[in-house]
Amino acid sequence: MNRLLDIASLLLEVEEREAVQGDLAEAGESTWRGLLDVLDLVFRRQLLLWTDWRPWLAAFGAAWPVSLTLMGLSMAVSTGLQTAVDGRPVPLIILTSQVVLLPIWAWTAGFAIATLSRRTLWIAAVCALLPCLYCLSKFHHSSLSKFCLLLFLPPAVWGVRHALRAIRIPRGSAILLALVVTGLAIYIPGVLLLNCALSWPAWYLAVTAKRSS
Amino acid sequence: MIGEFEYLLITASVRLGDEAYGAAVREEIAATTGQRCSLGALYTTLERLENKGFLETWMGESTPQRGGRSKRMIRVTPAGSRAAKEFYDAVMGVSRGVSWAGEMP
Repeated sequence: MNRLLDIASLLLEVEEREAVQGDLAEAGESTWRGLLDVLDLVFRRQLLLWTDWRPWLAAFGAAWPVSLTLMGLSMAVSTGLQTAVDGRPVPLIILTSQVVLLPIWAWTAGFAIATLSRRTLWIAAVCALLPCLYCLSKFHHSSLSKFCLLLFLPPAVWGVRHALRAIRIPRGSAILLALVVTGLAIYIPGVLLLNCALSWPAWYLAVTAKRSS
Repeated sequence: MIGEFEYLLITASVRLGDEAYGAAVREEIAATTGQRCSLGALYTTLERLENKGFLETWMGESTPQRGGRSKRMIRVTPAGSRAAKEFYDAVMGVSRGVSWAGEMP
């Protein structure tokens, strides 16, 4: 039971965890009562976070729609590369654009989502992964593994890691990334305007990089 | 105007003076009101009052009684005192002449 309490306390920020654990020790409350108190505080903290617009934008404005779009792009890249390997003709410029766009877009999306709302990142991750799980369950292709849908995940996770390490992107690089993502988005399957609109995480990075400069 | 629980927290902190910290305030509120307050309510309200400028908090010393963990110390600011007085005056004003005003518990 004490172990459960310690694990629950990890959901609190460092200083608050220190104070809360000390208060519980001083009060001499039962472990069960202490666990309920900690979970109550964790729940209230999470609720408070969602009174801000950022977690909503990160989870439902970015993670979920961008995940769907990047799965489509992953599929397009995999199909194009499979076609090339099979020796059949492929539209080289389009395929090259898609291969370049996929990791850049995924990285900027991961970075932007983690920058927007670090403390609700787990909800954004669920919003990104749920469509993946659904599509994985429905995917059927004669020559492609279903995991080709997840090509975007490693660069996206890499982007999240960089954001969590508070790595700053120079303004020029951020603007360049945004232009590349938006410009190349015309070469991916789907509705053109929607694809360009979903490149907003890259523009968010460009704007925030400008502010911090 | 501050709310009822915010008033309790500020008043308990003032009564405790230099010894105002999380657990002590919680105990003080329980002792004077007969109602237990949860850690969740206490710490979220502390943060809200600090954001409003009514309190200052900082990490204080650790003690063996607390398993070597630090306390979150609390000090009420002049703005917090004014806010508490405003609430008190409002309650006293609206309670004037009602049947239970002036009755001892």
